[in-house]
Amino acid sequence: MSLLLLLIPLIAAGFVLVARPSNGRQIALLITLANLALTAYVVLAFQSGGGDALAFRTPWVPNAGISFSLSLDGISLLLVVLTNLLAPIIVLSSFGRTYEHENRYYGMVLMMLGALNGVFMAEDGLLFYVFYELALIPIYFICAIWGGQDRIRVTLKFFIYTFIGSLFMLMSLIYVYLQTGDPLAGSDVIRHSFLWRDLVAVPLTPATAWWVMLGFFVAFAVKMPIFPFHTWQPDTYTTAPTGGTMLLSGIMLKMGVYGVIRWMVPLAPEAMHTLVPTFMTLAIIGIVYASIIAVKQSDFKRLIAYSSIAHVGLIAAGVFAWNKTGVQGSLIQMFNHGINVVGLFFVADLIERRLGTRSLADMGGIAKSAPRLATLFMIIMLGAVAVPLTNGFPGEFLLLNGIWNYNAWMGAVAGLTIIFGAVYMLRAYGLAMFGEPNEATAQFADLDTRELTILGILAFLVLVLGFFPQTILGLTDQSVNAILGAVQI
Amino acid sequence: MKALLILFFTAIAVLFAGLSKNRKTLQTIALAGSILALLATGIDLMLGDTTGLNEHYATMFRFDQYALAFSAVVLIGTVLILGLSGWGFRALTDTLGDNYGLILFSLCGALCMFSFTNMVMLFLGIEILSIPMYVMAGSRRDEPESNEAALKYFLMGAFATGFLLFGIALVYGATASFDLQVIARAIAEGKHSLGMLHMGILLMLVGLSFKVSAVPFHFWAPDVYTGSPNLVTAFMSTVVKTAGFAALYRLFSSAFVDAIDFWGITVAAIAALTMTLANVTALFQTNFKRMMAYSSISHAGYLLLAVLAIGQAGSAGAMLLYTLSYSIATICAFAVYILVAEQNNNASLDAFNGLSKKEPFLAAVMVISMLSLAGIPPTAGFFGKYFLFTAAFERYPWLIGLAVINSAISIYYYFKVIIAMYFVRNEESPVVITPVGFKWVVAGGLVLIALLTLAPGSVYGLI
Repeated sequence: MSLLLLLIPLIAAGFVLVARPSNGRQIALLITLANLALTAYVVLAFQSGGGDALAFRTPWVPNAGISFSLSLDGISLLLVVLTNLLAPIIVLSSFGRTYEHENRYYGMVLMMLGALNGVFMAEDGLLFYVFYELALIPIYFICAIWGGQDRIRVTLKFFIYTFIGSLFMLMSLIYVYLQTGDPLAGSDVIRHSFLWRDLVAVPLTPATAWWVMLGFFVAFAVKMPIFPFHTWQPDTYTTAPTGGTMLLSGIMLKMGVYGVIRWMVPLAPEAMHTLVPTFMTLAIIGIVYASIIAVKQSDFKRLIAYSSIAHVGLIAAGVFAWNKTGVQGSLIQMFNHGINVVGLFFVADLIERRLGTRSLADMGGIAKSAPRLATLFMIIMLGAVAVPLTNGFPGEFLLLNGIWNYNAWMGAVAGLTIIFGAVYMLRAYGLAMFGEPNEATAQFADLDTRELTILGILAFLVLVLGFFPQTILGLTDQSVNAILGAVQI
Repeated sequence: MKALLILFFTAIAVLFAGLSKNRKTLQTIALAGSILALLATGIDLMLGDTTGLNEHYATMFRFDQYALAFSAVVLIGTVLILGLSGWGFRALTDTLGDNYGLILFSLCGALCMFSFTNMVMLFLGIEILSIPMYVMAGSRRDEPESNEAALKYFLMGAFATGFLLFGIALVYGATASFDLQVIARAIAEGKHSLGMLHMGILLMLVGLSFKVSAVPFHFWAPDVYTGSPNLVTAFMSTVVKTAGFAALYRLFSSAFVDAIDFWGITVAAIAALTMTLANVTALFQTNFKRMMAYSSISHAGYLLLAVLAIGQAGSAGAMLLYTLSYSIATICAFAVYILVAEQNNNASLDAFNGLSKKEPFLAAVMVISMLSLAGIPPTAGFFGKYFLFTAAFERYPWLIGLAVINSAISIYYYFKVIIAMYFVRNEESPVVITPVGFKWVVAGGLVLIALLTLAPGSVYGLI
């Protein structure tokens, strides 16, 4: 079952790229919806206790201990749900733009979907790495072919940054892998293994664990991104086509957070005490730093990009705290951030499409001519600000609680994010929606059916998950306990 | 041995058939011979029992799994290159038969370099491989660059041979034998003159470093690669390189393995220099062939990691997978380059501008080749690199760190080609007509890369 989740989009991607059918966009939408239906089935099967029956395991390079193993626990499942839920929305939202060589675009999105599902389900270290990198290739092409000004330089920087980061992760993985296996097997040849449980079982000395953890951290910190590894992010988010930005911010940055929870901490917990205070500090500096820049932004897309750095900094800090509330908070917030940020980028895109500008100064008074947009945008914006009864609230509450338990000072500084978040989001909303309409915004067309569907679904999710956060927390509860229990700090 | 005989007789047949000057016939004979040799090798390889193959050759040859596997790699490379030769050799007229013959003869030399158990055979193999290559490099007699390449290649090659011979002589002096096993035993038992042996090993290393174009013995490579006819360059940078490394590995793993404390650090230094210098220089190239020349030097640096990992499980398998994926990717890249450059008369990277618009298939082939050469997952090149790095990790972690940084640098120049093809908007995107042979070869190459991606273990676990 887990294999299908990644095979369907990958095969469809191959078909769309090679056969170049005339209706590539419809095929892409159909495939993403099929995957969503499959995901729904997987969730039901998981909840009726069939977690292990969903797994798929087969040897890949048997004589090197590499296997093609996919499995699902609550944490993986949550991210798989997020990925497959956002995928049709992202595809549908791309319909508003006509891209040159459209098939290539949708083929790349499908390829990305397969790779992302693989990242979240991989149980084998090398397989994880392969999918982690596989996801990078399509997004590179999406951003570099259909991106805006200066896209070639910006995306190459993005690619090289993330690729270097991942190479450090590969070094760490190889090191831990070489420590696996039983040297007392009788023969000279040691069979190493890349399976998660074998890698986790390796005891490291604090000194080596320090290097291993640092290797992982560089990879994931670039991906998320955490200050000071964030310099690629605002440019890339701004120049990328909106579908690409949604993929990057909605799903791809979660690969980094997921990697920390699943791989970095469990594989090198011995270095937690020495390294995590530094990581935590960096994450919190990032929150404050990005928030302050966001407040001063006049480019709407760039503002969302910086807000994303701030939010993900908080999520990362929650994981680094490594207690139950922190990790649970980060999981629920990953899910909700995905929904909110996709909604925000969609709003930014449809305004840009209508007005031809992203500058907040050129907007204003849109609410008068587009009341439906104003309402739905308001709901999503409140979710991003984490107002109670929206989806952002339970996540930020748990995260801040977790960080506070780790260190009260850090919790206090991280709490500034709520204030800053309210400031920059309300400011952006006010500048765009209220005030006197100018010539362009006076004739602003309200949402059409497609846009209404997309924003409606997102706004609905914002409210539902705000009222019933337990749906997510229940899904991950056991798995979080398991992973916290498996790691001895 | 079957493959060697088949190739030898095919080469002679092609020389005689060359009188007819019929392009189709010549290509068919050469292709048929090398496919037959590939099949014979493949069957022996699959059977896995090599004792019966080696009864008659005393202590000169041993066609073991190692030799068969590398023979298969170079034969695959040759089949692909011969597939391109119909259109690729269209400029040759009188000498066409000679060229096919020379390719096959030099392949005979390569096969000797995989199977030798005696240094005499190593030397003969290298010469049989090299002399046809000197001629091939100059096969475009009307072009000054081609003549320059041939002369440079010949002078440098002869120079390197001198080092190699002197090294062999010194090793013989120290251990009183040309036989690899006897040498290994003498070294293990310490019955040798230490200074003479070390000098001999060092000189042989220098000689072979010339052949595989490792820094600081690489100066000939960029000029020779750029000046030679395109298809010959493809042959040099795949088949000849594979042969050089397989011979180097075989020599050091069977004869000098116990002296690893002595040569290990030297080889590590050469590897570090090779990959760093070549990658950094490649960044500044604007001519595709010159860029590929430096890229091939940098791959020599990575491949030296296999030599450093001698004795570790899987080091030979890693080298096998690496050379195979590298050869296929390089040949596919050259196939596209030959079409684009020769039809538009432009050898620089600009020739690729906007290629994806008119020729999406060729552009896709180029992308996959470049990703594979850069070692980006999930392409075959990644697995080659991964296994090499893992094999050498325990002994030389710092070198792997350097190799990793170099892999990151290499992205920059491999991606130049991708950027030119996809992201540079060009109203007059290059017009390309693809001959049938090229279609078959690139399609075959893609299938092989896909297979290596899906099941890298089947090659890695072969030896």
